[in-house]
Amino acid sequence: MRVLVDISFIVGGPQGGGIESSGQIALKAFVVKGYNVLGTREYHSNIMGAHSYFHVRVTSGPARALRIPVDLVVALDAESVLTHINDVRKGGYLIYDLDSTGVDATRIASMEPSLKSRLRRLFASMNLQPTVGSAVKVLEERGVKTVGLPLKDMLKKVSDTLGTPIASIAKAVNVMGLTAGLYTQGVSLQYVNKAIEAQFGKRPKVLAPNVTAARVAFEFMEQNIGEFKELPEGPHRGRVRMIASGNEVVAMAKIVGGLTFETFYPITPASDEAFYIEANKYLELGELSRKLELDKIPVVVLQTEDEISAINMAIGAAAAGARAATSTSGPGFSLMNEAISMAVEMEVPVVITFWMRAGPSTGIATRTGQQDLLHAIFSGHGDTPKIVLASGDHVEAFYDAVKAFNWAEEFQTPVVHLLDKYLASTITVLDEWDLDPHKVGISRGLRVESPPEGYMRYKISDSGISAFAPLGSATMIFSSLEHDEHGFASEDPVDREAMVEKRLRKFETIAKSIPEEEKLALHGDPSAKVTLVSFGSTKQAILSAMEELERDGVRVRFLQLRVLSPFPSKTVTDILGDDPGIVISVEANSTGQLAFLIRAHTGIEVKHLIQKLNARPLYDVEVVYGVKRILSEGARRVVVSGGA
Amino acid sequence: MARKWMDYKTEAWVQWCPGCGDFGILASIHRALAELDIDPRRLVVVGGIGCSSRSVYYIRGSNVHVIHGRSIPVASGIKLSNPELEVVVVGGDGDLLGIGGGHLVSLGRRNIDLTILLFDNAVYGLTKGQAGPTLPVGVKTKALPFPNVQDKVNPLLLAYAAGYTFIARGYAYHVNQLKEIIKAAIEHRGSAFVDILQPCPTYNDLMTKEWYEERVYYLSEEDPLWNPRIKDPEDYLKLPKIVEKMMEFGDRIPLGIFYQDLTKTTLEDRFEMQMPGYRKAPPALRPISVNGRIPVHPFKVFKENLIET
Repeated sequence: MRVLVDISFIVGGPQGGGIESSGQIALKAFVVKGYNVLGTREYHSNIMGAHSYFHVRVTSGPARALRIPVDLVVALDAESVLTHINDVRKGGYLIYDLDSTGVDATRIASMEPSLKSRLRRLFASMNLQPTVGSAVKVLEERGVKTVGLPLKDMLKKVSDTLGTPIASIAKAVNVMGLTAGLYTQGVSLQYVNKAIEAQFGKRPKVLAPNVTAARVAFEFMEQNIGEFKELPEGPHRGRVRMIASGNEVVAMAKIVGGLTFETFYPITPASDEAFYIEANKYLELGELSRKLELDKIPVVVLQTEDEISAINMAIGAAAAGARAATSTSGPGFSLMNEAISMAVEMEVPVVITFWMRAGPSTGIATRTGQQDLLHAIFSGHGDTPKIVLASGDHVEAFYDAVKAFNWAEEFQTPVVHLLDKYLASTITVLDEWDLDPHKVGISRGLRVESPPEGYMRYKISDSGISAFAPLGSATMIFSSLEHDEHGFASEDPVDREAMVEKRLRKFETIAKSIPEEEKLALHGDPSAKVTLVSFGSTKQAILSAMEELERDGVRVRFLQLRVLSPFPSKTVTDILGDDPGIVISVEANSTGQLAFLIRAHTGIEVKHLIQKLNARPLYDVEVVYGVKRILSEGARRVVVSGGA
Repeated sequence: MARKWMDYKTEAWVQWCPGCGDFGILASIHRALAELDIDPRRLVVVGGIGCSSRSVYYIRGSNVHVIHGRSIPVASGIKLSNPELEVVVVGGDGDLLGIGGGHLVSLGRRNIDLTILLFDNAVYGLTKGQAGPTLPVGVKTKALPFPNVQDKVNPLLLAYAAGYTFIARGYAYHVNQLKEIIKAAIEHRGSAFVDILQPCPTYNDLMTKEWYEERVYYLSEEDPLWNPRIKDPEDYLKLPKIVEKMMEFGDRIPLGIFYQDLTKTTLEDRFEMQMPGYRKAPPALRPISVNGRIPVHPFKVFKENLIET
């Protein structure tokens, strides 16, 4: 039997110092070696200097969720050693800069004052100064193997070898750190070099210092740590795979899914999606290029003055017939509320890609959360039902991004595609079959390019849907005031009631048209007496936790809500049944928003919550811990707090 | 057969107060459209909220009536998605300079080929006469319990600073002259801004028909050689005079075309330059699928994300 490989590691260092590239190189080395990976970037709202880290899980099976404690921490500066002091497991490795040994936590300007206090207390309780040296000592006592790299000397060696000044290759310390780290996990130089090339391309100027640095670090490890044991190659060798973040996967889906018009206002963590679309706005798109007789097909991407403009421009574009979208996060979505209400009233198809982050207010702009579920559903004044769907992982996000467009146009309604910062900045590896364009088509609903004489924009129909004719194809009025069938403003009570009923019928049509299996998924043993309910990016952590719970003899099923509006009330009621057993909602918000929604729609009270509130990703071990505590103690609410 | 101004009327009841300046502006628009012979199906009038924005119901076109202050972004989305359409924004000073002021500025930076017709009466009529962004400080119109404590903005200078390439001012009751200004604005390639002075007989009892008519005059009448066109860098010498005229607003109020810069590219031009084919296959009209299918596998397109294992 093949031995299951399951490695977790963290690469930490100062933001802006190449830490993201280092993390990606490490991740790519394992991909080249034939493994699945999942890697997320945790960073401060800061350009340069604050602590940032890349957290990776490598497995031979599906790489579902991040895990702590990790097998390896590569700490490229003093702050990383101290920040991650509790994150490395017994028997694991700490790689650190030997020159940082004397650094005192209280002297690190960029470190959060609260963390400094916690470290002071921790070390004081052991009669130690809060230094890197003390941290190394503590970790060694805990059974962690520590390796101090003389990075300065090693860098000099690289500089001497290449005959270039140290200052020009200073960033190569990153590669030295990660190569040393990968040595402990059995990744040899050839894979590191391939990953470096995959990261930086083949430009010799960038390649040479990094490849030399990797070799110097590898040799240091051979001389000082002992024999290298090569990790066997993983099962995913010999093919072309894709490495992409959630931001990128959604951007790709939008482009191939027919996006023609995208607006945005810069906001973390949505901007990287718009950036990717901007960078890829003019591409050859296979058969479509041939059909249009254009080598490259343009997508209009525009940075607007604010999110109000972003959504309103997208709405204008959509009324003109474009497949239009905007992307944002919580604060921007707040600004979009009024226009979302308008899109409901005007019956305009528009997609809002909503990357949730930690609120309220500006909160923590660069960290994750699931606090905007109700915000998305109830956005907009005055009875404004809309479609809200939430993706659980990269693959779902790909198909959902296309479906969001289809539903928007089929039902002439705003669609909110709910994602979060964790998915945005989490990189995964995908195979060609993961993104199968045949799995979802492109449909535009009841669209008439040349409407007949007497066309009425809001013609009353049984389904609540009227034919959509783009602006410029007939005289008509799209109206954000209450209107008659033509679109003329009307305060007539009969017109008013008819239009309210029309929109209501349309929402019922939506509820009936979207298949139940697209609205939710029931994972695990359907007869299990413990049900986890959740939505969004908690999916894979829960699936991973279920495997572990199963091994411990705890049978759990997982009800994943995919479409939150219209809510699949009947199916959820049927699944939970008269005697729902123990139902636990797993959410990264404090108010139990999904539990609220389930109770509102089904009357079923979700009595238990596993909550993540510290704005870090949910780890599978936390779900395991939460379930066990609820089962053993009957805890109503378990707050899990992992992550640095 | 050429169109007549009646062809641009709709069956909707025009709900403005008797004597409202909006009637004169509407008549000028109808006549300008007829003289330009614009196909109503290709005409998109976008209005926000306020008396004047209601014009979207009174002009035959393929029109959009949006929420307060957002007509410029909606119109921008329409125009950029289908550059062949003739897109005209109508709105009051509250809508375009107050709640929508940020968008007004941003449009200037973009120079999208849009026409902005600002119905400027210095009051919020529909909500019963509150002070608008062009009402001077210290004056007390009849609806205000105390004199206005906030000063006015200068719409022309704002448009100039923002980068509009066509800036004019008209007067509501000079239907013929205003018609000519609107025609020039529509025909201009780029963002055109027309400030249209307009009495509100119901709420603005200070800036009345009489008040305006004692003050207004035409730039070209005073100076027969007045030429607002900037065709090349040498014409920049005209700018101090143009700006000086924009600043004049008191006992005398100039009307006419102040400024028309023909040297600037539009945003549509820039898209076409960056992405040849944009005008041929604009966002609103181009096919997006091949027989309802996604046209290409992501692995064939996003090659930078691929890695060999």
